[in-house]
Amino acid sequence: MGGKVTCTLGEVKNRADLVIYWGGNPAECHPRHFTKYALMPKGKFVPNGRKDRTMILVDIRETPSAKAADIFLQIKPTKDFEMITVLRAIIKEQPVDPAIVAEIGLSLEQLRDLADRMKKAKFGVMFFGMGLSMTRGKHMNSAALLTLAAELNAFTKFVAMPMRGHGNVTGGDVIMRWMTGYPFGVNLARGYPRFNPGEFSTIDMLIRGDCDAALILGADPGATMPQPAIDHLARVPTITLDPKVTHTSRISRVHITTAVTGISAPGTAYRMDEIPLPLRPALKSPYPTDEEVLRRIRQKIACKPLQLPPTVPMMTDAE
Amino acid sequence: MELTITKNATCTFCGCVCDDIELHSDGERITHTKAACVLGASWFKNHTAEHLYPDALIDGKPATVDEAIELAADILYDADMPLIYGLSNITCEAQRESVGLAEMVGGIIDSHTSL
Amino acid sequence: MRGNSILRIVGGRVYDPANGVDGVVRDLCICDGKIVADVEAGRTIDATGMVVFPGGVDVHTHVAGAALNFARAMIPEDHRRNLAFVRDRIRHGGIGGSTPTTYITGYLYAGQGYTTVNEAAVPILTARHTHEELRDTPIIDKSTCVLMANNEIVLDLLEAGEYERAKEVVGWSIWAAKAYGVKAVNPGGVTAWKWGKDVKGFREPVPGYSKVTPADIVSSLAKIVDELRLPHAVHLHCNNLGAPGNVATTLETMKALEGSRAHLAHLQYHAYGGDDWTNFRSESVRIAEEFNRNPNLTTDAGAVLFGNTVTITADGPWQHLLHKLTGRKWGNIDVENETGCGVVPYVYKEKNLVNAVQWAVGLELLLLIDDPWRIYLTTDHPNGAAFWRYPEIIRLLMDLDFRREQIRKLAPAALNRIFLPELNRCYTLYEIAIITSAGPARALGLANKGNLGVGADADVAVFNNDKDAAKMFSYPRYVIKGGEIVIEEGEIRNTVEGKGLLVRPHYDPSVEDFIRPLFEKHYTMSFDNYPVELERVEHAEVRPCN
Repeated sequence: MGGKVTCTLGEVKNRADLVIYWGGNPAECHPRHFTKYALMPKGKFVPNGRKDRTMILVDIRETPSAKAADIFLQIKPTKDFEMITVLRAIIKEQPVDPAIVAEIGLSLEQLRDLADRMKKAKFGVMFFGMGLSMTRGKHMNSAALLTLAAELNAFTKFVAMPMRGHGNVTGGDVIMRWMTGYPFGVNLARGYPRFNPGEFSTIDMLIRGDCDAALILGADPGATMPQPAIDHLARVPTITLDPKVTHTSRISRVHITTAVTGISAPGTAYRMDEIPLPLRPALKSPYPTDEEVLRRIRQKIACKPLQLPPTVPMMTDAE
Repeated sequence: MELTITKNATCTFCGCVCDDIELHSDGERITHTKAACVLGASWFKNHTAEHLYPDALIDGKPATVDEAIELAADILYDADMPLIYGLSNITCEAQRESVGLAEMVGGIIDSHTSL
Repeated sequence: MRGNSILRIVGGRVYDPANGVDGVVRDLCICDGKIVADVEAGRTIDATGMVVFPGGVDVHTHVAGAALNFARAMIPEDHRRNLAFVRDRIRHGGIGGSTPTTYITGYLYAGQGYTTVNEAAVPILTARHTHEELRDTPIIDKSTCVLMANNEIVLDLLEAGEYERAKEVVGWSIWAAKAYGVKAVNPGGVTAWKWGKDVKGFREPVPGYSKVTPADIVSSLAKIVDELRLPHAVHLHCNNLGAPGNVATTLETMKALEGSRAHLAHLQYHAYGGDDWTNFRSESVRIAEEFNRNPNLTTDAGAVLFGNTVTITADGPWQHLLHKLTGRKWGNIDVENETGCGVVPYVYKEKNLVNAVQWAVGLELLLLIDDPWRIYLTTDHPNGAAFWRYPEIIRLLMDLDFRREQIRKLAPAALNRIFLPELNRCYTLYEIAIITSAGPARALGLANKGNLGVGADADVAVFNNDKDAAKMFSYPRYVIKGGEIVIEEGEIRNTVEGKGLLVRPHYDPSVEDFIRPLFEKHYTMSFDNYPVELERVEHAEVRPCN
């Protein structure tokens, strides 16, 4: 269906009486998600805090987050999509194939109980993590879960939100959207933004060997990406900006040490719910900030003869 | 060194981006954090104002920032299809510069979101 | 910003309604970014045979902020369908379409002679983001309205009968958001939406409250804005937007204002009769009659054009309904304690009865409201159509034959539900200059905008005098912003930076002691990180409240 039905975290704090974590382990990965935002705090309409909320965890294994749950639903690996689809059917009072229910690893009663709690909640929320969005089905799983949340609004108030990791990854999405219209994987080679995940996304670009230089900042793909992608980074001239000398730095032609975001570099960062927050650095770095280095690289390039896309009409069909 | 206290500091370790952290620093390192979680506290304490790494490296050898910037500009300018990737643990201001740079050199800009 | 160019525009037919100048051939002199009486040196622009307007002013648009930026991510298909802008020596590249990227927004506005816009919906919580986007929106000057009619601190105070303190909170909030005005969207309705509900009656308590009604919120905010002496009246998106029979709510709202100033946003969406979608019809005549009787009110058309667009509003419950009606994808963000926002892509079709009525109502209001100084050209961008389609509306207003030709394309069943076929009024160039510039500038309280008198900002648009008004207003020959030529021969020549317009109303700073503990209880960020610092607003200009 597309779209996303969501809210800022304060809405969850003030209203949510049903909190579902799906494929995530906040106890270890987002420790204050429980205590500051979603589960423990007393809210305007849930004055007793934790006591006024039911927490359900859906995951393939019992993580430390299960201790905080009222109900832990352990499902079989790679069966998230099936489970979401069955829930959508139950909610709409459609028949359900018992064979598929059996594959999920839960009983029909457990699924009916969950669907019932979802419909009866005053304000329900589903937080989904990489256990959902990075396993078999990937973005299809996220889309199915977002659709489930949207459809629940026919019965009650329901929202969903991804548990974004990686500090300011949300800021990157937000800024690319206003500058290019797209949230990630944007190709500017023709002088206007083009978007095609799977073609212009980094791992695909690197594995195909489609880029002939790289600038890496705020990430260490040399430690985390598939080997063929790392091999290509090592093959082309790569530049790394990072507060430390990283795995990627070691396969780069150029490394520049930069100040640390929020510790010694000022600016802004976005929370997972897209609220912008100012940074208040406590230390003064001996290194320049990423912002300053990038600006100086741009100034250097600005002194060179202007490179323009091959043809320059003022406007073009975006396709 | 003198102790300074920074209130309402923002932690960018995870996506929660909590902005209620109190940081005590002696000018060189953060000695104490209030309100931060275990991950946040170790994030803040792990980074110091010390000069622990070379300013820049070119082919693995120490270089000046000026030299490194010059070479970085040459590499990106000369490339047909440069890739700018990451953007997670940097400020919005640096992200904005990154998009501007990608436009300038006609390349690809991408973040962790594409994984 | 402020240009040092010295310019003399000679031979053009000048339309400057603020000074009663109606198509008089005269020279216009510009120095130091202002209109001056005379200049000695400098460049001369020969505008012989051309038409000279004050730069356009858009009183109501959605061009920046969390909601619009959320929509951008939701409609890549729209980006692909529309023109893209290729980078060149002067310009950044980007995307056009229903939600243009920031740089392109500035180019497109300037590219049709507009030099000032009012971003009409900003939550305090994400105002920092809105100002960042506006910084990347070149050429035009920008003001913003902060969303207040579903702010729970304000609503709780009104419930408790603490009007005076509510006023202080509003004053504080305007400055915290670095805003220019106050916006009210579906008063009480978005708060109700936080429980999946909407407000029921205009004079019934908001769900979750026992006393306060939408009527109370409307009249209190209007009074607060007047007492804070804001240059722009309360900017009001009435309850019941888009719904059949909402004419009753709109008429009641006008009454509830009791003579306070108010700007009724996108009136087209609030002028419908019927009880359901099957007998949906225009009530523009009743709305226009009542509006004409209330000199305290201004409005903008919120006109609709046929084609693809995306709807974006803080009116969460309406967007959920629209999603259910259309089956199109739906985005929603509820913003803690303050507001909400919904996004649904939409296509207006000539053969769809409801859409045909909507198209007619926008034009009818523009033709039936007799004082052009009180109704302004908008499409509630991007809700009714993208702002870069304004010239099509100008043609519909000026060219009766063209309008009749378009009416013939409507579903025949629509014709007995609308008044448009009976209206023969045609706008003059003088009136177009009012509804696109002089009028909205006056409504915003921007005395230095929308006029070409000595001392005014040198924001000027020069058009070819073409019979086809759509063509004429789509491609200005010259656009001058703050004294700098930004468009010449239809090309962008200079991308100056625009100003951020805001106000600092008078409020008792001790109100912060009242807000802080509530904030700490109900929000999830630190209070000290909440207000936007003045230096975050690029080229800020703090306008007076008096």
